Amino acid sequence: MSAMRRLFARTLNFTTHRNGDARLREEMEQHLALQTADNLRAGMPPSEARRQAILKLGAAATIRERYHAEEGLPHLELLLQDLLYALRRLANAPIPTAVIVLTLALGIGANAAIFSVVHAVLLRPLAYDHPSRLVFVGEDRPSAQITGNGFSYPAFLELCRHHDAFSAVAGLAGHALTLTGRGDPADTSTIAVTPGFFSVFAIPPLVGRTLRDDDSQQGAAPVAVISEALWRSRFGADPRIAGAPITLDRRVYTIIGVMPASFRTPFFDQAEQVWIPLLQDPLFSHWIARPPQTHWMPVIARLQPGLSSRRVQSELDALSAALARQTPDEQGWIAKAQPLQQILVGDLRPPLVLLLCAVALVLALACANIANMLLTQATARSKEIAVRVALGASHARIARQLLTENALLGLLGGAAGVLLAGRSVPVLIRLLPSDLPQLHSIHIDAAVLAFSLALSIAASLAFGLAPVFFAARIDPQSSLRTGGGAGETRRSRRTRSVLAASEIALATILLVGAGLLLRSFARLLSVGPGFAVSQLAKAEISLPRFQYSKPEQWAAFARDLLTRVQAQPGLHDAAIAAPLPILDTAVTLPFSIAGAPPPAQGNVDTANYVAASPDYFRVMGIALVRGRLFSADDTLTTPPVALISEALARRYFPHQDPIGRRMIFGFPPNGNVTREIIGVVADVHDVSLAKSPGPLLYVPFAQAPFWGGEVVVRSGLSLTAVAGAIRAAAHAIDKNLPVTEVEAFPAALHASLAWPRFRTLLLGGFGSLALLLAALGIYGVVSFSVSRRARELGVRITMGATPANVRRLVLRESATLALAGLAIGIPAALALTRLISALLYGTAPSDPLTFAAVALLLVSVTLAAAWLPARHAARTDPIQALRSE
Amino acid sequence: MKQKRDVQQGTLALMVLRTLDVLGSLHGYGIARRIEQISGDLLAVNQGTLYPVLLRLEQEGAITSSWAPSENNRRARFYRLTRAGRKLLEAEKRDWDQSAAIVARFFQVKAEDLP
Repeated sequence: MSAMRRLFARTLNFTTHRNGDARLREEMEQHLALQTADNLRAGMPPSEARRQAILKLGAAATIRERYHAEEGLPHLELLLQDLLYALRRLANAPIPTAVIVLTLALGIGANAAIFSVVHAVLLRPLAYDHPSRLVFVGEDRPSAQITGNGFSYPAFLELCRHHDAFSAVAGLAGHALTLTGRGDPADTSTIAVTPGFFSVFAIPPLVGRTLRDDDSQQGAAPVAVISEALWRSRFGADPRIAGAPITLDRRVYTIIGVMPASFRTPFFDQAEQVWIPLLQDPLFSHWIARPPQTHWMPVIARLQPGLSSRRVQSELDALSAALARQTPDEQGWIAKAQPLQQILVGDLRPPLVLLLCAVALVLALACANIANMLLTQATARSKEIAVRVALGASHARIARQLLTENALLGLLGGAAGVLLAGRSVPVLIRLLPSDLPQLHSIHIDAAVLAFSLALSIAASLAFGLAPVFFAARIDPQSSLRTGGGAGETRRSRRTRSVLAASEIALATILLVGAGLLLRSFARLLSVGPGFAVSQLAKAEISLPRFQYSKPEQWAAFARDLLTRVQAQPGLHDAAIAAPLPILDTAVTLPFSIAGAPPPAQGNVDTANYVAASPDYFRVMGIALVRGRLFSADDTLTTPPVALISEALARRYFPHQDPIGRRMIFGFPPNGNVTREIIGVVADVHDVSLAKSPGPLLYVPFAQAPFWGGEVVVRSGLSLTAVAGAIRAAAHAIDKNLPVTEVEAFPAALHASLAWPRFRTLLLGGFGSLALLLAALGIYGVVSFSVSRRARELGVRITMGATPANVRRLVLRESATLALAGLAIGIPAALALTRLISALLYGTAPSDPLTFAAVALLLVSVTLAAAWLPARHAARTDPIQALRSE
Repeated sequence: MKQKRDVQQGTLALMVLRTLDVLGSLHGYGIARRIEQISGDLLAVNQGTLYPVLLRLEQEGAITSSWAPSENNRRARFYRLTRAGRKLLEAEKRDWDQSAAIVARFFQVKAEDLP
């Protein structure tokens, strides 16, 4: 109670600046008068009476100080005082302050920006109810090194029947269906889901209701849930939308609800989306009948609360055993549950962690640089500090003042850094690959701010401790006697050299990392995809499957379309195929070779599969190596034929002629078609540029048609002209057909390298920043050391040293720093780059050329940075240098 | 020569309160003099240290002060115990007596007294 009152009185005094000093002085004066009078009465002579009174009262200054300390909030007051002093000091030296704040802002800004990405992608929990209980249930086949495959529908039903571990289970599959009747026809991301889907995520709808079990019953009316973005863009955000029709692939569904924009489907992160029952999907409803050996459907489940992962796994093991009993072919498959977030993040963790480590190094470098600048300042300030110590300031008080100053610098740098990060996040988002999960939720939020604040404080401690220790050792006597000039101790010079060398070491690590990525990216760029890219463009056409349901219709459509496209001016070189290399997801199918011994139990040979029209190879520029290409005569009614890639021929027909041999494979449901190999074509990178060409199987599009496909053309026309011509051809057949994803191959390949480009660009940027900071650091250390050694240099010159000698002396000093830094940095880089070998393409983590180039670069930059101070040193005027002391 | 003892931290406040309790209204010098007198001149007070304590007690509401003319006809700050101060003094006295009694018991105890 009384403590509260006291705090209140103090706070009041502090805020109103009420000061009892006048009252205290009067009281003390009266005190002295009374004591003097008493002393006089006791018989002392007047002068002695007053003296004794003063002695008895004690030191007036101390009393006033202690009185004052009782009066207000002394700690806060000191802090304010220190802050004001620090602000004045920083403002008096605007350029060094600006350099320090800017250096720090770069370091903290880069960290905050990268952290905002890492936080959004890796750390922030998924935006679902109790996201930690969501798991991806996948099927692994360890013997074939297959992980994370989906379930077949029969296996999924089995999982639904036997789950005590999950409170809800859902399978989902996504593709684009054509939305018509609401503005232009458009491909709309459509997710076909099993009944439990919305219970798994437990997010309530914005309008209406979500799917119920009875919506998935045989014979139920087709219904759809739409996303908020689609509701706004196509349905005018009508609150009474429930019951309205939506037409997908020519089939009318009844809208029953709208999901809020915050809800995004894992794996299919699109703003505009429709969810329909799996049984109502034009494609996937047929896949339900696919046999247990086809693992096509991703499964997401919600765990019962409080289950151990071992318990969950034992249930899944029981399920796998049951499935294997029912279908002996399924032996060797194991169902596994993994946290959903982990699966979504996938292989993004290494590159993001790499970038975070790189920016941390940049900040460390910035701190070393600032510490160096502050040490230089502290040496220059040693006289000021000595005066304050001599005037009675305790070392603790001075340390406190310096720490306040550093904290202020840290916070200023942090604030500037956050501003910088705020500016750079939109740029980062543009640079980031567009398929990054959570890309839309990257921003500077409270977590990023807290992270930056913590970094600022940590940084101000990191760069501020050395100067504070330095100040604590200042001896006022010697400092004042020598005029402050020689305040430079051997110790602080050594500290500065160590800091400069560690800057070089840090820069080495960053530059080696950047160099390796750059080199591997250059390798990647020089990779030929296996086909001629220039002037190549493609467009996707997909047929409504309710209208075009038979393969004969698909084949006829493709033939008709191709004839019309080729008739357009400038589009003679056109073909149709699916899927296209790199741009489309590869279709991997099992195959067997007639007459060859079957592979060992549990192993399946697989190859990627392409259906292509006869002109495809000519248009793409894929060379025929042997045999013949497809012709217009290969149709549904002629014997099935196939082409194989050189990689497949090498691997499965070593030292044999594959032509005339038979292979058995096919796109489901026609998985067992025997085809005769009629030729061998050159390899292409069908998955990505970074992945070497694997075995490929080609079949004539006419013999294995899809419901649509990719039209590829080689044309000198502009992309818009190409798109317009293909649209015209398609609409001449059916005016409601969507022609989508029109892309020029060069641009699309460029986009396929977004991740490597992003990390190379960023690490390159950080490396350059590190180089700049290290150069500044070396320059600072050397030029300061030159100015401090003016006298020594003067003596040397008087004794006959030539300017060249002096220059060499200074340069040798900086070369020593560089070599010391390299001696630490190169082994450290060797140890660390091994961690990024997965991100490198065709480049060893210990690539000697990169290491040599970085070492050479750093030594030359160091010498260049030391060149100016060295020249300055060589021009030292000995007379002046000696006189100035 | 007998060594004069410094006033222990915290006990000075108690002495101030008790002095004002006995003598009513007093100025700073008067309080300092009385404390020295009562202690039989065994305590040496750097008399100035009294003033921060007076300020603290006033902030806590245990005493109040006002200007009034003193014996040399100059004005002095006179301090007076408040009701809260009296309560505080009583509580402090109880505490003090209790601790003193406990310490006293330790000095009285003999080995045979313990079971």
